[in-house]
Amino acid sequence: MALEAGVRSAFARAIGAENVIDDPVRCRSYECDGLTGYRVVPELVLLPRDAEAVAAAVRMCAQHKVPFVARGAGTGLSGGALPVADGVVISLSRLKRVLEVDPVNRRAVLEPGVTNLEITAAAAPHGLYYAPDPSSQQVCTIGGNVAENSGGAHCLKYGFTTNHVLSMEVVLPDGSVVTLGGDTAEQAGPDLRGVFLGSEGTLGITTKITVRLLRTPETVRTLLADFPSVSAAGDVVSDIVAAGIVPAAVEMMDTLAIEAAEEAVHAGYTVGVPAALVVELDGPVEECDVQFEQVKAICDKHGCTRLHIAGGPQERAAIWRGRKAAFAAVGRISPDYFVQDGVVPRTRLAEVLDRIARMGRDAGLRVANVFHAGDGNLHPLVLYSAAAGETERAEKLSGEIAELCVELGGSLSGEHGIGTDKACSMPKMFGEDDLAVMHRVRGAFDPDGLCNPGKVLPTPRLCGERPGRYRPHPLEESGVIERL
Amino acid sequence: MTAADDTTAPTTLRPTDLRSVREAVLDSAGGLAIAGAGTAAAWGGDLDAVDSVLDMTGVTGVIAHNPGDMTVSVHAGTPLRRLNSELAPHGQQVSLDAARIARGATVGGLVATADAGPAALVHGSLRDLVIGTTVVLADGTVARSGGHVIKNVAGYDLAKLVHGSYGTLGVLVEVVLRLHPVPKRTTTVALDCPLAEASGHARRVLDGPYEPVALEWRSDSDGSGDGPAATEAGRLLVRVEGTEDALSGRARRLRAALGPAATEIAADAEAEEWAAHAERVRGGPGHAVLRLGALPSALPGLLAALPGAATPDAALTIGLGTGVATAALPADAEAIEAAHRAVHAAGGTSALRDRPTGFGGPAWGPAPSAVGVLKAVKTALDPAGRFGPGRFAPWFELTSPGRTT
Ligand SMILES: Cc1cc2nc3c(=O)[nH]c(=O)nc-3n(C[C@H](O)[C@H](O)[C@H](O)COP(=O)(O)OP(=O)(O)OC[C@H]3O[C@@H](n4cnc5c(N)ncnc54)[C@H](O)[C@@H]3O)c2cc1C
Repeated sequence: MALEAGVRSAFARAIGAENVIDDPVRCRSYECDGLTGYRVVPELVLLPRDAEAVAAAVRMCAQHKVPFVARGAGTGLSGGALPVADGVVISLSRLKRVLEVDPVNRRAVLEPGVTNLEITAAAAPHGLYYAPDPSSQQVCTIGGNVAENSGGAHCLKYGFTTNHVLSMEVVLPDGSVVTLGGDTAEQAGPDLRGVFLGSEGTLGITTKITVRLLRTPETVRTLLADFPSVSAAGDVVSDIVAAGIVPAAVEMMDTLAIEAAEEAVHAGYTVGVPAALVVELDGPVEECDVQFEQVKAICDKHGCTRLHIAGGPQERAAIWRGRKAAFAAVGRISPDYFVQDGVVPRTRLAEVLDRIARMGRDAGLRVANVFHAGDGNLHPLVLYSAAAGETERAEKLSGEIAELCVELGGSLSGEHGIGTDKACSMPKMFGEDDLAVMHRVRGAFDPDGLCNPGKVLPTPRLCGERPGRYRPHPLEESGVIERL
Repeated sequence: MTAADDTTAPTTLRPTDLRSVREAVLDSAGGLAIAGAGTAAAWGGDLDAVDSVLDMTGVTGVIAHNPGDMTVSVHAGTPLRRLNSELAPHGQQVSLDAARIARGATVGGLVATADAGPAALVHGSLRDLVIGTTVVLADGTVARSGGHVIKNVAGYDLAKLVHGSYGTLGVLVEVVLRLHPVPKRTTTVALDCPLAEASGHARRVLDGPYEPVALEWRSDSDGSGDGPAATEAGRLLVRVEGTEDALSGRARRLRAALGPAATEIAADAEAEEWAAHAERVRGGPGHAVLRLGALPSALPGLLAALPGAATPDAALTIGLGTGVATAALPADAEAIEAAHRAVHAAGGTSALRDRPTGFGGPAWGPAPSAVGVLKAVKTALDPAGRFGPGRFAPWFELTSPGRTT
């Protein structure tokens, strides 16, 4: 059932006809996010110019019971910004002002369409930066980061989006405007800000966000180390942790991922080694010096076959380029791939990689591994060829890997979110009562169920459908962003 | 009305595990007060009379500690002090240093009151350290959220709802926490200065590469009335943590940045120094203790202007990086009402902690703009208003079940 003409014109009146797209061809540009296998063309796309217009648009939705989906840059990997049939998309792309940078109190106030990297760019002249660093940071928006509670390579030491957002102005699903959180972490009453963070656009739309800024660390030390086995590299991670060191980042790649990355960007990784680790420390010079020596000794102890220490910012950038390219580069060694985002307790890394390898062999498919070893967040890439009819097998393996993570005491998702993609796996991780309580909380924010319906929590309708194959995000194809 | 006004005392329920908590909730009727060690029993609004008190101090003990993963799951009634002493042999800790931990505060109580200490500058409060929770709701539903891994975005984060809920939404029974290494060494650099100068010194610390884990100013006055005015004399305390080899160099640089009057506290006096800070956070018998948060740059001025703050009868602490302060003020209901208003006018938030029995001043400032959502959440999780009736008065206007007998 399409939107009635009267409702369409009501939206045009509310926010200005020039800010509404109702041409189905143009609406098609909004049919999917980074999870390109799922596509739905929205009835209308609304492009409000300011927070008042966002509220006006949402009030219209509430009045006419029209479901709506907020959209930032559309880089989400779980189908969170997937439009709803018969609904509208509210794009925040025009709310992109940095409203304030306060170097004294170390915070920035942003509109939701500001990109992650623009925050750091605005803070840098003051020697400050915004810590969470998803590898899509050139394009993804702070509004999307808040919705997904996004992470990045450096969140092991510095925490996730939720640890860096102080407050948000939110348009609730009834169109009223509230502030969640405030000027400091100290807030009276239950932490609604924390509930909203990571709620994947299902509890309202943020129109203004205040984030904390950190001082740029005095030093950064980065090394790249090769190991004779994945488990040796895993032992290094364990020993670093056991030594009481909290690295800024610890990333691991296996043979297949190294091969793909090296072929793509020639960053100086050793092709053919079973495992490579990137370890980065940052902080005061004295501290980094001491701990870096300890890390090198731990690498040696576990049979490191080559240790490359970044001699300067350029070599450091090269190491990271290799690491970050691994994702998209897998496209060079396989026509198609699925990506997962499961998490296991760090101590089960060797075990889970072993089982993934076995599952891959049984399914007759290759799996490349690139992951945040420090916090156990895997990104297994299931390689397949759609042309060879492997899609269904690959999809099944990919789902089984996510569920294996849960079985090993972990989570379905470390940073990409549940969205449309994994909503049907939620019962593997949570019981019926757990999900029912989450549903109650959702209802407290959105009694009419209009705000991004069908995402996060499983619904019978959704869980009967099957996704299409994974296709690279257009920005990934053009090399603007990389997948981590 | 408080429970003390009633003739019959409430029944005390003493569960020992998840199952018995659930049974206690289901088998009782009417208002229910959830109690931990009692170190913050009077914080927030005065409780209405209740039928039962759910004493959580029997629901204790570590459920599973995974040293390699640096996580621990623990029963909510466990005193944090005890938990940390069990973790210490593994070189691990829960990085929370709230003042009342020394008095035996439980993990659940610390979460429910959103309490934190100076180290919140780096580690945040428990909201940032809790990675999983199991909660029993008023209808007996057992709800889990989060999990056992530090990185996890699956589902709504219900731990956040419990954080700061003061026992009004559900009973926290099990908590999974992220751990950090116990620092190899810590040291504290101190500089004596009045409140008015604290911000300037703090700026130099924050603008440098020192990475302090705590940056506080505290009044010399402990509020007992026989010293200088709380705003006039005090001490800036900067704590750094690190390795044996690196820390001396860092402390030297930090001292140099703060000028010749700065000193490094002797290792054997450091704990005492921070205990004195904690004492001011807790306040004394005649005090009404206000916890407040505001922009760090506005905080010293705001604090100095609170009624009674600039006297020897007050004790003050300020987190100059966190923007979180405590003011133990002479207990006067009107003064506290004015203090809430002043904090609110400066864009901050405030909550009343300990005060003399029967004090009568308001516990909270004006309701936040999202109070409608708070009420809706309360109605969704505890429709009959059983848990902690009165705690958030006048924000929650649910009809209290009061006493059924
Ligand atoms: C190549 C690539 C690499 C990536 N790397 C990482 C990574 O390293 N770490 C990581 O965590 N993620 C990563 N991602 C995932 C993605 O970039 C993040 O989830 C990001 O936060 C999404 O931001 P966005 O602006 O694109 O949001 P969108 O995709 O547009 O939306 C994401 C969700 O947020 C909601 N939303 C958007 N704006 C608002 C708003 N203002 N108010 C309320 N809800 C809103 C949407 O409804 C949707 O549910 C990667 C993605 C790609 C394609």
